[in-house]
Amino acid sequence: MYKFERSFYSKTSMYSFVVVMVLFFSMWYSTSRFVHIDMALLGYAISSAVFAIGLTIRMSFWMWRKATNRVAKRSVDNLFNKERLKRNSKALVKTLIDNIILQKFIFQRGIYRGIQHFMISWGCIISFAITFGLTFGWMRFDLIDPETYQIIVFDMPTITMAAHGVFAEIVYNGLNIGAIMVLIGAGMALYRRITDYDVKVTQRFEFDILPLIILLAVTVTGLILTIQYTFLDGWMHHYMSLIHQVTVIIMLMYFPFGKLFHVPIRPLATAVPMSYQEVVKVDTKSCKSCGQPYSNDDQIADVQAILKSQNFDLQLADGTYLSDYCTGCRRRMRALKQMNLEAPKGNPYGPVNTNNGIHISGFSKKRSEEFYGLDQDSKEEKIDEPVSR
Amino acid sequence: MNKIMYLEFERCIGCRACQAACRECGDHDAKERNYVEYVDFTESRQTFPMLCMQCKDPACARVCPANAIQITDEGVVLSAMEEKCIGCRNCTFGCPFGIPKFDFETNKMYKCDMCYDRTRHDIAPMCASVCPSDAIRFIDFDEMQQLRRKRTQMNLVEGKKPQEGNKWDYVPEFFGVYTDSQS
Repeated sequence: MYKFERSFYSKTSMYSFVVVMVLFFSMWYSTSRFVHIDMALLGYAISSAVFAIGLTIRMSFWMWRKATNRVAKRSVDNLFNKERLKRNSKALVKTLIDNIILQKFIFQRGIYRGIQHFMISWGCIISFAITFGLTFGWMRFDLIDPETYQIIVFDMPTITMAAHGVFAEIVYNGLNIGAIMVLIGAGMALYRRITDYDVKVTQRFEFDILPLIILLAVTVTGLILTIQYTFLDGWMHHYMSLIHQVTVIIMLMYFPFGKLFHVPIRPLATAVPMSYQEVVKVDTKSCKSCGQPYSNDDQIADVQAILKSQNFDLQLADGTYLSDYCTGCRRRMRALKQMNLEAPKGNPYGPVNTNNGIHISGFSKKRSEEFYGLDQDSKEEKIDEPVSR
Repeated sequence: MNKIMYLEFERCIGCRACQAACRECGDHDAKERNYVEYVDFTESRQTFPMLCMQCKDPACARVCPANAIQITDEGVVLSAMEEKCIGCRNCTFGCPFGIPKFDFETNKMYKCDMCYDRTRHDIAPMCASVCPSDAIRFIDFDEMQQLRRKRTQMNLVEGKKPQEGNKWDYVPEFFGVYTDSQS
């Protein structure tokens, strides 16, 4: 294995090579040794391979990040832990249904945004499934008798359908359905991006609007193709199909490097119910200072490990880390440190003396003698020195 | 942009105008992103305002598994990008100052962005523009240096003398966004 790895320029290039090989052999197998390959889709096939390489490179670099690596590692370890079987399956099903199929959290951000995202994502998923299925030959249609089509998946015959049945029409028009969904969703998104002042605060053209324009270009050219072959007897169809191919290739090339890259990183959301917070808003680890539960042990261990591996020195004098305290206590510690109000040595968790000697309450009070003791020995000072906590 | 957010905790009177103003800011979705908290409620009614430090190398971004927390050209650390944030809350635990907030309903993190649409054009952030006691100020770098010097003098008048080992305890907090250019 080591030798195999050494024969590549980098690990990333090795992964890319493996991915391309897997794609190539899946194509070879499912088209029964390239007999049934669809040559018209060759351009798509090549650009999809480049897309796969780009995606592999981006995923490798993303996984190489300390934080991602740590979180993903813990999730994978937990996934194959037999004692956690029940929790894992529950987390997986919950994430799949809530986050990916229904996208509940986006509907929480607003019904308009929910519909918009639902349309774009499901339109894209349908279109990508059909496009990749057809270009790599994973899925093809065979005519078994003049009235019946059969869908062949990975060279295995599956369902048969009447050539002009309702189901067949839905299957033939899958790309059109997907395209209309994306058209509606991307149009809604573009409208929101242009009119909503709140969104404009942090949006960038090349990151937020360009992907919408690319998606719209792909769907519009694709739908024009459909119009041309159904209503216009294929007028200009050839040129339009070339234009459509160009837009699709641009989209595939853009995918791994722009906003659309959020799609492959979404599944990491499973890590939250699986390894961290099993039930929403229920925490198990309590704060070192105030005792309120604010997180759980695994997550804090991960955060501390990630910070340590990136040379963040957030350890306090008594050996605890800042992440051992709840957010409220952390804010308080910072303010106390700044105002010289920290608790005296001995009981760092005791009550805070908010009288720092500068502002004395009332007019009749006198400052304590130690306040004026300017020429103290360094030894004495060390005893009085407030400790970090 | 060479302006500084200047905090003086002792000046805070606990009116929470900054929080109300924060809710009104663009893209803040009617949720405040700053804090006004009691130092120790059992001891006194002293409050302090708390904002994001806009770190140059933010711990919150470093612990984010989705790489969702981005920094603008001006150096403002933005809230997690909504499409990337997976809702793990690592940032709230990683931040040494306990700044990022988490919204469980919409499953995303949000934090102080210094009212990016305002500070980008050198307008004071909402909190600084409404603070009645000047506990939060948005001032020039030079003005901040003057205030710090004055503060040190005040300490001397009050009988507190900073020494080599603890001189930083006598300097009020300041933070903000720095760029090398003076434009």
